[in-house]
Amino acid sequence: MLELSRRRFLIGAGLGGLAMASPRLFAADTASGPEAFLTRPIPSTGEPVPAIGMGTWITFNVGADQYLIDQRTRVLEAFLERNGTVIDCSPMYGSSADVIGAGLDRLGAHDRIFAATKIWTSDGSETREQAATSERRWGIDRFDLLQVHNLLAWQEHLATLREMKSEGRVRYVGITTSHGRRHRELARIMETEPLDFVQLTYNVLDREAEERLLPLARERGIAVIVNRPFQGGSLFRRFQSEPLPPWAGEAGVGNWAEFFLKFILSHPAVTCAIPATTRVEHMQENMGAMYGRLPDTGQRRMMAEYVRKL
Amino acid sequence: MSGAVWLSYSLQDLVMFGPEVFLRLFVRINQALWPWLLLWPAAALLLPWLGRQNSEWPRRLAMALAGLAWIGCGYLFLVRYYGPINWPATGFGWVFVVQGLFLLMLKGKALPAPLAWPTVVAWWLVVLVLPWFAVLQAGEMRALALFGVAPGITVAASVLLFAGQPAPLRWLLLLLPLAWSLFSAATYWALGTFWLLAYPGAALVLSVLALRTNPRPARIPDLRSARPGRGHRSSGSPPG
Ligand SMILES: NC(=O)c1ccc[n+]([C@@H]2O[C@H](COP(=O)([O-])OP(=O)(O)OC[C@H]3O[C@@H](n4cnc5c(N)ncnc54)[C@H](OP(=O)(O)O)[C@@H]3O)[C@@H](O)[C@H]2O)c1
Repeated sequence: MLELSRRRFLIGAGLGGLAMASPRLFAADTASGPEAFLTRPIPSTGEPVPAIGMGTWITFNVGADQYLIDQRTRVLEAFLERNGTVIDCSPMYGSSADVIGAGLDRLGAHDRIFAATKIWTSDGSETREQAATSERRWGIDRFDLLQVHNLLAWQEHLATLREMKSEGRVRYVGITTSHGRRHRELARIMETEPLDFVQLTYNVLDREAEERLLPLARERGIAVIVNRPFQGGSLFRRFQSEPLPPWAGEAGVGNWAEFFLKFILSHPAVTCAIPATTRVEHMQENMGAMYGRLPDTGQRRMMAEYVRKL
Repeated sequence: MSGAVWLSYSLQDLVMFGPEVFLRLFVRINQALWPWLLLWPAAALLLPWLGRQNSEWPRRLAMALAGLAWIGCGYLFLVRYYGPINWPATGFGWVFVVQGLFLLMLKGKALPAPLAWPTVVAWWLVVLVLPWFAVLQAGEMRALALFGVAPGITVAASVLLFAGQPAPLRWLLLLLPLAWSLFSAATYWALGTFWLLAYPGAALVLSVLALRTNPRPARIPDLRSARPGRGHRSSGSPPG
């Protein structure tokens, strides 16, 4: 599924490596060649993925509403046009999987994505069945990443997912949590289980993951997907009416979306953040965080301090 | 998941769709039913007039119309349209259908006496005024919430019929409206669609009012004339 996109990654791959070494990126060369965008390697294989992905909780759950399916397809199109590939979903997200599938069909884009979904059932024997159902709904042959959703029946599901990985039925396996829940248990799993990915909540206000989980992910070579990068949208509701700090430009930040996302991406353990949106213009803003420089350690501190004061 | 983990979720975390998608359900279903949609308000206005008649068959027809309204909004709105974006709606939808079938099976029994004027007037007010709250929320006429199509208004009007019934039937019939009102109020609150709170709000207020003013058949003058032999009962006698 990723054959075509790999070529597109080549441009970003070198810069991805550079980004791991230094949190700063060069501004894109807009006049001539293609724009450089931020990628990060998946530690278990070194495969680069674009650092901004797309979440679909709430935003893509539009049922059979053709008008909204068309509109969300345009959001997906804007995501792909700006070099996005990682799409995250779950059987828990209502009709989102069908809406992604319809969009991919319309855009003929099944081979341009890094498809990630979750296993969300308390029945530990249903792993394969649920993965197959999700594949049908997305219209793909296999997922790039299957994650155990919210640690639900994780022992059984992880065992089956590892089997599926060895059979080539999925490329990567992972586990998710959110809202800062069950971090201690997740840390234990990260310490003891072989994982390619973890997904957790991390943003400029919810920073608990910095204490244990993010360092542990680096140590264990586990890729980190960051969910709720805007705290479900509440960061915009709280801060959008405020001015950006005067030093924002120096940190590579041109708007609040970039402020929130670049704060996350400048943590060296983070592989990818997956903001969700219903709007094309928001998607464009969010994807902007993959371009230009990233804040350095001192600027990160100032960012956290700035929102805390607001 | 442990109970403690569930408790750490806020109401907003549990709603899996946005207000735009929900409000478009009203628009989409109205468009799908057009032009037959015009029959719904006509039936909604006719229903209490039928329910006020002395002879039994119009009252049976009134109950049948109410039953069809519950089946219609249960299956169409809740199961077909709302269910795909919110799973509990599918469950509610099928229970609405069962309640509708129950009303059909009750035939005349659930309307043992003609409706009193206050009930008729309250009904007409509900079916004429409440549709506009969805319009206010959505900002477009096509979102009109009609009796027999949208669950909130169907429930709010129907409690006027249910609350006047003798116990225990009354409680049985009011169970689902109560559950739906609480569920939908929580949903509208989480979505921030505050105008829509008028539907569960009206259902709850009307239930209380109807239970307080309408419980004993002997208190209703029309009922006395409709039930010869019972009119001489004192107003304090228990409902039949
Ligand atoms: N346990 C788990 O596995 C788990 C839990 C939670 C989330 N997730 C995943 O993580 C993804 C992201 O989390 P989330 O959806 O909860 O929250 P989020 O991405 O933090 O926030 C989404 C909200 O932000 C708003 N938004 C996005 N871009 C914006 C912009 N540029 N300007 C202004 N507002 C903007 C969106 O509104 P608009 O539509 O108006 O843009 C939307 O309401 C989910 O979709 C899901 O895929 C996983």
